[in-house]
Amino acid sequence: MYDRMQTLTQEQMNKIHGAAMDILQNTGIAFNEDEALEIFKSHGFKIDGKKVFFTEEQIRKAVDSAPSKFTVTARNPEKSVKIGEEDFVFVPGYGAPFIAKPNGDQREATMEDYDNFCKLVQTSKFMDMNGFMMVEPSDVPPETAHLDMLFSSIVLSDKPFMGSPVSKQGARECVEMASIVWGGKEQLKKVGPVTVSLINSLSPLQFSDEMAGALIELARADQACVIASLIMAGSSGPVTLPGVIALQTAEILSGITLAQLVNPGAPVIYGSTSSAMDMKTGGLSVGCPELSIVVSATAQMARYYNLPSRSGGGLTDAHIPDAQAGAESTLALSTAARNGINFILHSAGILGSYIAMSFEKYLIDEEMCGVIRKMIKPMEVTDDSIDVEMIQKVGIGGQYLTQPKTFKLCRTEFFLSNLMGRQNQAGWKAGGSKRVDEAATEMLSKRLASYEKPEISPDIEAELSEYVMRKKKG
Amino acid sequence: MAVKDIFQAVLEFDEAKVSELTRKELDAGTNIQSILNDGLINAMDEVGKQFSEGVLFVPEMLMAAQAMKAGLGVLKPHLADTDNKPKGTIIIGTVKGDLHDIGKNLVGMMMEGAGFNVVDLGVDVDTEKFVQAAKDNDAQIVALSALLTTTMPAMEATVASLKESGSGVKTMIGGAPVTEAFATKIGSDGYSDDAPGAVELARKLVAA
Repeated sequence: MYDRMQTLTQEQMNKIHGAAMDILQNTGIAFNEDEALEIFKSHGFKIDGKKVFFTEEQIRKAVDSAPSKFTVTARNPEKSVKIGEEDFVFVPGYGAPFIAKPNGDQREATMEDYDNFCKLVQTSKFMDMNGFMMVEPSDVPPETAHLDMLFSSIVLSDKPFMGSPVSKQGARECVEMASIVWGGKEQLKKVGPVTVSLINSLSPLQFSDEMAGALIELARADQACVIASLIMAGSSGPVTLPGVIALQTAEILSGITLAQLVNPGAPVIYGSTSSAMDMKTGGLSVGCPELSIVVSATAQMARYYNLPSRSGGGLTDAHIPDAQAGAESTLALSTAARNGINFILHSAGILGSYIAMSFEKYLIDEEMCGVIRKMIKPMEVTDDSIDVEMIQKVGIGGQYLTQPKTFKLCRTEFFLSNLMGRQNQAGWKAGGSKRVDEAATEMLSKRLASYEKPEISPDIEAELSEYVMRKKKG
Repeated sequence: MAVKDIFQAVLEFDEAKVSELTRKELDAGTNIQSILNDGLINAMDEVGKQFSEGVLFVPEMLMAAQAMKAGLGVLKPHLADTDNKPKGTIIIGTVKGDLHDIGKNLVGMMMEGAGFNVVDLGVDVDTEKFVQAAKDNDAQIVALSALLTTTMPAMEATVASLKESGSGVKTMIGGAPVTEAFATKIGSDGYSDDAPGAVELARKLVAA
């Protein structure tokens, strides 16, 4: 296999690993959470105040106990997914406070928007998992918004979903809601991970109490966690990317170690969405090539440790689904998939460096997920897929259009475009000369209209609903 | 109504079934015109419509055309017994210098499917051959195809020669680089950007 994009050599990875070990051993990582400090202390880690220091052996032991691949079970078992090694998932955008309207204006996101994204995920051929906080809803109380979102994620879709890492309490509630769906805590333990949650470090070299607390709760319940850094090269991390990779490796491995101390074998993912600060504006850029370089290096470093990896996907700095959005997003998404990232978050919908989700952009990115999935699928070379007999029968100067095989495979052999125009110019003009984002606006209402709520036991739905109500009151 | 079944069998691309049903209808004494128009030709109109809407794909349209032709083959010996003439004769070919024939074949098949008598001259056809064939076959239309911009001037020359020949034959052109504006410029009677459109155009030109 040859790909020109091989960001790091083995020797370079050894060097980055060495630097990360140096940072972990000598600078340490701050955990602003008492239980985390207790756990490290009880396992004989060196502690100074909130700072925890790690030896290479301690890190190695933790990394070795983490699985290289695991299954996330969906409430519809046919939709369960595997994460790790050759298996990967596309997951929608995460954390945007605004909805980008088709003209580029923004409005505050609502629960209705969140629900509509759940419906788009459920009706998608290419989105493998439902997200969490696909938008931050402004019309529900922020303290309990995670309960509303989890309820929608579970009830409106039967795909695996992302969990709530908002706090220790929020993580516990996520596990409790999953227990309701799977028939109790014991049963949930037997099933294994049913959620993947996003735990972010606070770069440089810290974990907040919310994130460390949520990590402990989720690892304890055997729920999968992405441990991720978002380092802005030049502001919250070094300006040079090798320094960024070393710094993120130190942060991620410390989080993974905590999870493994809590529950050896807990499923974890080496994650990063580090990128460059734009030196002209001071803002985060995710449409830049540096993002894709970090994506590639992240996939390589995760493989170096035999861990599943996570990066961003369809990311852009553009504010409207225009040519910039398409180019930047597809480059990053393709880099993630081709370099072997296993959990591709932000696969669809993000605009303006995470500030907004766009329904139109979601639909365009989603189609690219299908395109990329098709592109990297290994080719099956068999006597039948070559078919010398047919080639000889058609002979020199013949045609294949009326071959029975062409007829038989004409709907399945090639990727069928849903959104990307393939008509000639006359046909395109006759159809109203629509740009792809305009076609997406039209498709959106059709997709939402095609949505059917997946089956769920009325008792479970009622119990979930009652749980959310009770927690909101309390 | 069993003629409707023939229509349905064409839309199911089932060549054997179309032949069989057509034979049955003939044996039952069903009006031949009805079998031809309500069954076979109507079905191809529907196929053309669904293709233009993006519902049917190219290989499916061709399979439907083959199924229709199988039915037509069964009918043909009996068509001579009635005064049922073909809807018109169309000479079709790819112009001089151009060897691409997939689009031309597609249009030819669809025209046959619509009940025209189609005389296919093949590829790399020079002007004289088109003029002669139009005369010999007493054709109503000559349809010219080109895929290359470099062979489009050959279309202009052929259209001009056909006009000069005084036969009154109409011309229509098509192919990826060909446009409505080019058709107007070279004095062709019409242009279509897909096969069902070409059938529509041929019907209009014959009726005019």
